Amino acid sequence: MTWDYFISILIPMLEGSKMTILLFLIAIVLSIPLGFLLTLAVKSSFKTLSWLAQIYIYVMRGTPLLLQLLIICFGLPMIPGIGQYLVLDRFVAACLGFVLNYAAYFAEIFRGGLLAIDKGQYEAAKVLGLNKWQTMTRIVVPQMFRIALPSLANESVTLVKDTALLYAVAVPELLHFAQTAVNRDFTIMPFFVAGAIYLVMTLLLTLFFKWIERRYTFE
Amino acid sequence: MAIIEISKLKKSFGSLDVLKQITFDVNKNDVVAVIGPSGSGKSTMLRSLVHLETIEGGSISVDGDYLVKDGVYPKQQDIKQITSKMGMVFQHFNLFPHLTVKENLEVAPRLLKRESLAVISKRSDELLEKIGLANFSNTHPAKLSGGQKQRVAIARALMLNPEILLFDEPTSALDPELTGEVLQVMKDLAEEHMTMIVVTHEMGFAKEVANRVVFMDNGEIVESGSPTEFFENPQFDRTKAFLRRNLK
Ligand SMILES: Nc1ncnc2c1ncn2[C@@H]1O[C@H](COP(=O)(O)OP(=O)(O)OP(=O)(O)O)[C@@H](O)[C@H]1O
Ligand SMILES: [Mg+2]
Repeated sequence: MTWDYFISILIPMLEGSKMTILLFLIAIVLSIPLGFLLTLAVKSSFKTLSWLAQIYIYVMRGTPLLLQLLIICFGLPMIPGIGQYLVLDRFVAACLGFVLNYAAYFAEIFRGGLLAIDKGQYEAAKVLGLNKWQTMTRIVVPQMFRIALPSLANESVTLVKDTALLYAVAVPELLHFAQTAVNRDFTIMPFFVAGAIYLVMTLLLTLFFKWIERRYTFE
Repeated sequence: MAIIEISKLKKSFGSLDVLKQITFDVNKNDVVAVIGPSGSGKSTMLRSLVHLETIEGGSISVDGDYLVKDGVYPKQQDIKQITSKMGMVFQHFNLFPHLTVKENLEVAPRLLKRESLAVISKRSDELLEKIGLANFSNTHPAKLSGGQKQRVAIARALMLNPEILLFDEPTSALDPELTGEVLQVMKDLAEEHMTMIVVTHEMGFAKEVANRVVFMDNGEIVESGSPTEFFENPQFDRTKAFLRRNLK
């Protein structure tokens, strides 16, 4: 095992990590707000909307993400009639799948956060003359976010690892290059390198969330 | 001069009639102590004054304006305008845990935008001084004792210059040794002629500070009068029985 060999497999894998990181960022940035909207929909007094949101969350959490990705990448184009318009770029399709799926998980996390907020908080805000919007943005959401942080951190680490599912829809990412090198060179080394790269990513993410948690501790 | 007029208030939760024809007036500068057994409807009555409960029948007027008339509420804007004359202090403080003490005081006036930030900041400093917590302005509520929290909650209510302050068992969640500091702040307010309605189990406070005591039982006002009349010469058996149980 030479240093040169190590560098020669590391470069394409780091290149592949870009896809992994890009997917992670897109998924997290879009699914958190979408998840919050879903939470609001679930809590809505408009019953049909609430029902639809609950069914959506149930379906998304109750089926494998891999299945959802396969449906979006390979299933949608097969729908008679409209299928030809549903052929998406693989990476775009994967992003869509991740956002739709993770939004459901984040919605559940936020819902838990909302449930943990005492009804006295709403009452105090109301008596102080805050309207619904002010109560939500100034009182409820900051507390909900703080309560949800540890779970958000957990889910984000899972998301990093789930990016490996890109492999299944043939988007070249970290794992893809590892597998290629293993097949080509008959060595286990690339798998360990891949593992190490994932560990570095999850470590950085964990440190980041620990930092936010410390910043938003109100004690 | 009556500042609050409550007449024939009715409220039920399902089949449970919690308020049955509650009628009483509060005069300006009154300190009214509302006492009565658990479940008698004291909190519900108090909460209906600030529209935390919606009543089904009867009327409430504040300063001559109807918050609700014969069970019918005016439009949202009017309700808000009328309830804004009252501040409320809760048993469990309900401070905002993510905000500092000073932010807790300032959040509402800042959002209501009726005054400049400088005026708001000056008043919050003065109030913190007054309740003896000037050194705690940048502290989060979690670091405070129960008594300190309740004093902050009182200051927060005062930030909006209410004409009337409502208290729902302000000392019931406190360790006995901490009730004194909160009662002292309330006593000071009474001396400044703040109009107050205080639901309380503190018979001492009712005797010493209140100028009127209202006894509720089972959704009705059984008896009301000056503390002297009430405690020394109660008229009704239910009152006598309650006092026997609670005065020792
Ligand atoms: N939201 C609610 N839903 C159903 N029942 C309620 C609700 N709020 C209060 N009640 C019931 O109404 C009755 C009166 O309650 P209330 O809280 O006004 O009594 P209270 O005199 O303040 O009692 P306590 O001294 O225990 O605080 C009680 O029997 C209570 O269980
Ligand atoms: Mg009560």
